[in-house]
Amino acid sequence: MTASPLRTATAGGACALGVRGLSVNFGGLQAVAGVGFEAAAGRITSVIGPNGAGKSTLFNLISGAIRPTGGRVTLDGADVTGRSPDRLLAAGLARSFQITNLFFELPVLENLRIAAQVLERPWHALRPVGHSRRALAKADALLERFGLTAKARELAGNLSHGEQRRLEIAVALAAEPRVLLLDEPTQGMSHGDTADTGALIRSLAGDLTVLLIEHDIGLVMSLSDHVVVMAQGRKIAEGPPAVVRADPAVQAAYFGHG
Amino acid sequence: MPEATLRTLSDPGRAGPASRLSRLAPVHWLALAFLAAALGFAAVAWATGNGFYLRLATEALIFAGLAMSVDLLLGYTGLLSLGQALYFGLGAYVSALVLRDVAPSFWLAMAAALLAGGVAGLIGGVIANRVKGVYFALITFGLAQVAAKTVYNTRALGASDGLIGIPQIRVGFGPFSLDTADPLSFFLLVLGLTVAAYAGLSYLMDAPFGRTLAAIRANEKRVPFLGFNAWRYKLAVYVLAACVAALAGALYPMLRGFVSPELMFFETSGNAVITVIVGGVGTLVGPVVGSLLLTALRSVVGSWTEHHLIVVGVIFMLSVIFLRKGLVGALLARLNRRGEQGRTAP
Repeated sequence: MTASPLRTATAGGACALGVRGLSVNFGGLQAVAGVGFEAAAGRITSVIGPNGAGKSTLFNLISGAIRPTGGRVTLDGADVTGRSPDRLLAAGLARSFQITNLFFELPVLENLRIAAQVLERPWHALRPVGHSRRALAKADALLERFGLTAKARELAGNLSHGEQRRLEIAVALAAEPRVLLLDEPTQGMSHGDTADTGALIRSLAGDLTVLLIEHDIGLVMSLSDHVVVMAQGRKIAEGPPAVVRADPAVQAAYFGHG
Repeated sequence: MPEATLRTLSDPGRAGPASRLSRLAPVHWLALAFLAAALGFAAVAWATGNGFYLRLATEALIFAGLAMSVDLLLGYTGLLSLGQALYFGLGAYVSALVLRDVAPSFWLAMAAALLAGGVAGLIGGVIANRVKGVYFALITFGLAQVAAKTVYNTRALGASDGLIGIPQIRVGFGPFSLDTADPLSFFLLVLGLTVAAYAGLSYLMDAPFGRTLAAIRANEKRVPFLGFNAWRYKLAVYVLAACVAALAGALYPMLRGFVSPELMFFETSGNAVITVIVGGVGTLVGPVVGSLLLTALRSVVGSWTEHHLIVVGVIFMLSVIFLRKGLVGALLARLNRRGEQGRTAP
């Protein structure tokens, strides 16, 4: 598979992640109400919407952090609704977090090694770390790819914000997922870093199905194959970037409040 | 904190397996130094015919086993158990009953204590791991109180008097055997077991299993998203800690010839936590050093005044304030600093 997300819909395009009628109530508040869409295999699908639209809650529902009160989530056609995060990871779904969620008191390399450990057979948990060759090789490869090799032995908590954001994505990639959920990967990044991260996400698609929450609309429009727009817990529009941008409902709910 | 173990983090691509082997972590050097000191002490005590201090040191090592089990939970996983004496006392009672009523066999007593500790740990772990943080601590405390009061009120277990008249036994290792009545032999046996426990547990804590515990301690919420079932890991380490405590407890009646409900009381659990914190959390050597230090202190100060608990309390507070990582933690920090200077020097 080549890593170009801009291919026409020949290869790929099958539904990798399906969401149907997904809903959750928080004490009467309908945080996510009947949201449905499909993320095509190897493509970048973005979820946008104003603050409080329910984007992060949607991610929490899909990734097993919260149990939905209604609706379905499917991975490659298999129903995975309500599964715990560790079982979802085993099924090929990984995620990153909007608020950096690392092992701050552990070294950068160890953060990645732990995340890559699922690549090993279970009994490697009881053998010396050196025997987990695949996990160690994966951690090294990710250090290289994310420009963190020089920081391998630093504690994750001592990295700069930009480096921590990069490590956050690297950790999510370590398990070699097929579907990757990125929750505002560029949050708090400088312009240069944001552009680099955009290029990185683009390079991921193809091998990987990406579902992205992102505030930087320019980045979303240039990166995405498909955009889902949410407001007040509901999906108000979806389609290719150009179509979504022109949608009057989106203009009113989203761009209008800019 | 498993900082000690993380320093041995393998270095793929850069360091070959051989260079990994040759670099023993500073914490292990400390353990070796401690072992040498313990053997030196044994030689002197034997030469001067001082059985009292050998027995006291043996008791310190037995309680070090309990402290190590607390360290597995507190230092590596971040779980504060205030009821670890439950498993220690359980091991002691099971061992006493086996030795007195079944057969005077060391290995049978140890096996029975291990089994009892494992089963009780599984039950206790399932209950305690339903909750987190301070509630976990309170449940472990409550479980131990219930068990202690039950034993205290059970006539068949000797109630408040405990069980007395546990026979002294011969411990057989193939062609060799030693007598628990001989202070030096039994000290060396318990020292050997302590070293074995240290080596085995250090190995396990440095393997991916132990490092996942460190990840749970650092950020439990992220762990499930990396494919681990955190609950299972916490249950596994809880059962492991219960087994270690039960095995340590099983040695107690062999040393003292009796067991009493006090072994399960909060004072025993609390002392184990103090021992770990004074000695050095997350090092496994720390609990051993702490246990020897506090036992010696109790014995020395106890011979001057009945209020030795005040002294222990003050030492505990001072070490929490001035030695946040305990004695061994402070020593390791110094060793590592020196090591780094050595490396950067031309």
